[in-house]
Amino acid sequence: MEKEKLFDAYKIFMGLMALMGLIMSFFGFGIPFFWTTFGILVLGSFIVVVIKQNMLSYLLKRCFEAGITLFIIATLVFLLLRLMPGGPFDAEKALPPEVMANLAAKYNLDAPLYQQFFQYMNQLVHGDLGESYKYIGRPVSTIIGDTFPVSFQLGVYALILSYLVGIPLGVIAANKHNSWLDSSSMFVAMSGVSLPSFLTGAIFIFLFCFQWKLLPPGSWEGPSFYILPVLTLGLRPAAIIARLTRSSVLDVIRSDFVRTAYAKGLSQRVILFKHVLKNSLIPVLTYSGPLIADILSGAFIIEMIFSIPGMGKHLILSVTNRDYPLVLGLALLFSVILVLCNLVVDLFYAVVDPRIQLA
Amino acid sequence: MGLRTQTIESQELLTTKDKVGTSLMAKIQSHSLWNESIKRLKKNKTAIISLYFIIFVVLVAALAPVIAPYPYDLQNVDATLQGPSLKYLLGTDALGRDILSRLIYGARISMAIAVFTALVSLFMGTLYGAVSGWFGGKVDAILMRLVDTLYSVPALVLLVLAKVVIESSGYFHDPEFRALFSIFGALSIYGWMGMARIVRGQVLQAKEMSYVEAARALGIQQFSIVSRHIIPNILGPVIVTLTFQIPSNVMFESFLSFIGLGLQPPFSSWGVLANEGWRSLRSFPHLILSPGIAIFLTMLAFNMLGDGLRDAFDPKMK
Amino acid sequence: MKSLIVLVSLFLVFSGCTKSSKLKYGVDRSETLINNLQTEPPSLDWHKGTDTTSSEVVGNIMEGLTALDFDDPNLKPVPALALNWQGDKASRVWTFTLREDVKWTDGVLFEAQQVADGWERLLNPKTAAQYSYFLYPIKNAKAYNEGKIKDFSQVGIKILAKNKIQVTLEEPMSFFPSILNHHSTFPIRKDIVEKFGDRWTNPENIVTLGAYKLSKWDHDDAILLERNENYFGEKAKTKYVLERMIQEQSSALNAFDVGDLDILQELPSTELGILKKRKEYVKTPLLGIYFYGFNIKQKPLDDANIRRAIAAAIDKKEIIKVLNGEQIPGSSFVPNGMLGYEIDVGIPYNVEKAKEYLAKSSYKTSDKVPKITLLFNTNENHQKMAENVQAQLKKNLGLNIELKNEEWKVLLDRYKVKKGYGIYRLGWIADYSDPDNFMQIMTSYSENNHTNWQNPQYDELVKKALSEQEVQKRKDYYKEAQKILLEEAAAVVPIYTYVHSILVNPRVRGYKTNPMDQKIFKTVELVK
Repeated sequence: MEKEKLFDAYKIFMGLMALMGLIMSFFGFGIPFFWTTFGILVLGSFIVVVIKQNMLSYLLKRCFEAGITLFIIATLVFLLLRLMPGGPFDAEKALPPEVMANLAAKYNLDAPLYQQFFQYMNQLVHGDLGESYKYIGRPVSTIIGDTFPVSFQLGVYALILSYLVGIPLGVIAANKHNSWLDSSSMFVAMSGVSLPSFLTGAIFIFLFCFQWKLLPPGSWEGPSFYILPVLTLGLRPAAIIARLTRSSVLDVIRSDFVRTAYAKGLSQRVILFKHVLKNSLIPVLTYSGPLIADILSGAFIIEMIFSIPGMGKHLILSVTNRDYPLVLGLALLFSVILVLCNLVVDLFYAVVDPRIQLA
Repeated sequence: MGLRTQTIESQELLTTKDKVGTSLMAKIQSHSLWNESIKRLKKNKTAIISLYFIIFVVLVAALAPVIAPYPYDLQNVDATLQGPSLKYLLGTDALGRDILSRLIYGARISMAIAVFTALVSLFMGTLYGAVSGWFGGKVDAILMRLVDTLYSVPALVLLVLAKVVIESSGYFHDPEFRALFSIFGALSIYGWMGMARIVRGQVLQAKEMSYVEAARALGIQQFSIVSRHIIPNILGPVIVTLTFQIPSNVMFESFLSFIGLGLQPPFSSWGVLANEGWRSLRSFPHLILSPGIAIFLTMLAFNMLGDGLRDAFDPKMK
Repeated sequence: MKSLIVLVSLFLVFSGCTKSSKLKYGVDRSETLINNLQTEPPSLDWHKGTDTTSSEVVGNIMEGLTALDFDDPNLKPVPALALNWQGDKASRVWTFTLREDVKWTDGVLFEAQQVADGWERLLNPKTAAQYSYFLYPIKNAKAYNEGKIKDFSQVGIKILAKNKIQVTLEEPMSFFPSILNHHSTFPIRKDIVEKFGDRWTNPENIVTLGAYKLSKWDHDDAILLERNENYFGEKAKTKYVLERMIQEQSSALNAFDVGDLDILQELPSTELGILKKRKEYVKTPLLGIYFYGFNIKQKPLDDANIRRAIAAAIDKKEIIKVLNGEQIPGSSFVPNGMLGYEIDVGIPYNVEKAKEYLAKSSYKTSDKVPKITLLFNTNENHQKMAENVQAQLKKNLGLNIELKNEEWKVLLDRYKVKKGYGIYRLGWIADYSDPDNFMQIMTSYSENNHTNWQNPQYDELVKKALSEQEVQKRKDYYKEAQKILLEEAAAVVPIYTYVHSILVNPRVRGYKTNPMDQKIFKTVELVK
């Protein structure tokens, strides 16, 4: 079956990606590898879909829509930023007007708002995100380039962890539906979403670093530093995936073809792994896109607690600093990720399940 | 954060039902569906216990001034950071305020934020989704395009921006109300979108059902079709979504406190308490223990109830 | 599931070697001091950076013409890059003789031109340096910075010889050498800046002459400083300084407790009580004050007697008790440990007096006094203080105070328009070790005077003190000015002098804390 083959390929691909991530972290290879992996993932899916379903026009349409979305977001954030009182160079020790005038001239803040807006849009079209006001002389793209890969790495580990834990948990729960195993694993899953992550993080640090003295309490320098943050960040998505898997598996178990399989006298193990799992994982996997975005924005707290040099803190600090170009740059980056993730997931969905026609 | 995934989750749980349940649902009259659902819910012990627990929390919150042993902001500089004692059942914080009282008053604010925001999203989302789904076609396309765009704005940035803009607008004088309102506002901006999508999906589906078509054929006005036939039918999914949204709002409130943009002491909410407490987990565990347990149990109860409701409204899942 | 177990166990095996003696960048733990910089420095370009983080790093890799003598109670300037200096009688023309044995890290000799280059760059409007006003005392410097003068040779800076530079000031200024300790006035290598542009502060490009040199800079993560073997002074005793950027205070405390930090610069306020009792605890009063100011255009604060009444009704000791801190109760506007500090200036806490002032006011009784708004930025400690002041004024005078908090930048915006508040707060840490730093805040021409209060006599006294070289006379001028500010006008109420509390690991010896909060590591020695 065509669909099955593709699904296998997809699984292997995901597996390889997870494996690569782990190998990389062990041997201390860093960030460029992640970019390549991510790129391969996106490009690969594009190519497969374009070849398989001849959907170049669909892709172009999606890209066009994404462009409009990004424009609207840039406008919205730009206006909201200027609605906020206080400027980027206001400080406890107020600057003399002469100095303020020099700064305004340098950053073109003395121009009328619409001019600033057009100037920014013009820059944006040329791929320039501008320079940060706070981190003087550092282009926004450099700041993102320095910090985003770390956040991304953290996010991907957490995602892998959440699949590794969430899917088995969900399958077990569904398979033993209404048993103590079901209720206890669902209880565990629900506990995962029932505490704020800063609290879980603090508890983990207390236990692993101070009670048992196993792991370091912060920084991002090697495998042993990754465990606690990844665990803390992955807990919540793992719980969500477990619950999704459970309901999805239950759905499939009750479907006709599984009943037929039982009637044919196939062993439970074969049915579970060969038929049920394969079919029930599709909806779970399609939620990877929003999940990645969610993990990336949730990473902020984890990065603060474990002092990880990621991008999260800039999301908040750039707003409180009124660092306009940085806020805009980050907002756009997140939107791009979100749009891209959704697109990739849609494409994957089409790859995995050929019944779905995107165009 | 989890705002996004929370909605997604309930959305997913609902759509799996829809795939198979449509034909079944069409056969059942909406009233008997309700009775059935309530019966099923009553059988689910965890859900019922959760419901009682939530009622308990709401009662505590409502009766805060009566049952709290001290005002939430009463300081006792001579008894700071004390562990649990007879005078202070759960101990005191860094300014000598009674943690039990703060916890009780905190329930008030946390529940208010969670419930109020959920209600706003219920109202806005249902209206928006229903209009979009009912009219369909171009209206639907435009409205949903708008939601999709807003949905692609990173939640964190949008919320923080909205929070600061609302707060600095200068309409409110009372600092507690101002902080509360800006949190309500920021959360509401985001929360309704997920709801709108779900309601739209439900309305689109209900529109196709035989009894609605029959009503249409009979010449019944559009408004009464929506209010009498469609709304009762989509109520189940909406309630389920709400029960999932409430805990994620509580989480978000604590998250805002964490980044220093939420409610600030002396006002008390669970987010404020958790945020004050976790930093000194090693030195003063009593600061975080009771708020932590309160948040944990309440979140658990809401999630369990949500699960129970979903099962109850979805005959196939049982 | 199995794979997960394997994974976790593998991780744990690897984590077994976390406590190795090698740190990040392969430096040896035994010769590395680890400090917490807390956040990413906005810039290591000393003409552009304004944060304490920037000045902390710059202060260790660069030197100014002068240094401060922290053993001297008045923090008098001592030679650094300048061997000696001479002011003329009116302290308007200053001549600095520079060292000739100083080499930059690339081997180039240090000379006067590089000092002038630095000042030109700071004042150049194109640089848009935020601290350019530091050199406004120099003749024509302000005009050059505004772009009114294009020709830098008209600015009062003259190179007399390779090792001699002369500065002519607009107005006489007795403490000009102290200013040259500030990082914005440091010399610079113009050729390097021109060659690399904005990237000149990258570790591979930057050229400095301090006791340390910048070795690694991982943004948002860590900075590594390495001993400069060609430093002209006494060489640094510790080979490396690792500056980490841990923003969250409780995380920094965790790191300190497991030995990943040698100095903890900020202590979480909740835990201060127990941290105070630890043997690693060190506290230092800072040259900085926290004060409340009155907006005298706002009713009822336009009445000086109301302001006096409020000033007399605030018990500063109680506020400090509420904060659980170590701060020193404020009296004069100039903080402790500085010339011009007076214990008997200002309105002391006295409820009886406060009631008298209230009775003398145009309102006579408290019930006729309209509500007063106290504005502060959203922060737990400011909130605690404001609440306490609110309670005290209610109890002592029966006045109604309304608290209002704003997000930081919103607050600054309100200050700029000087509207929408009755009482406001401000904290001020000295940039240079002279009382003028504080006294000029309340002059009529200062951007930091948010009170709307103006007094020509006060302005005159501050100006006079600025040019006076005789210490006793300056002291008298400042005393008189402060009497006007604090007693006659009662425009501000100093609440406390800041105290900086830190934890220092016992293996660190010779770390000198100082009232300017300059973190200098060259004297630090590590013991086993």
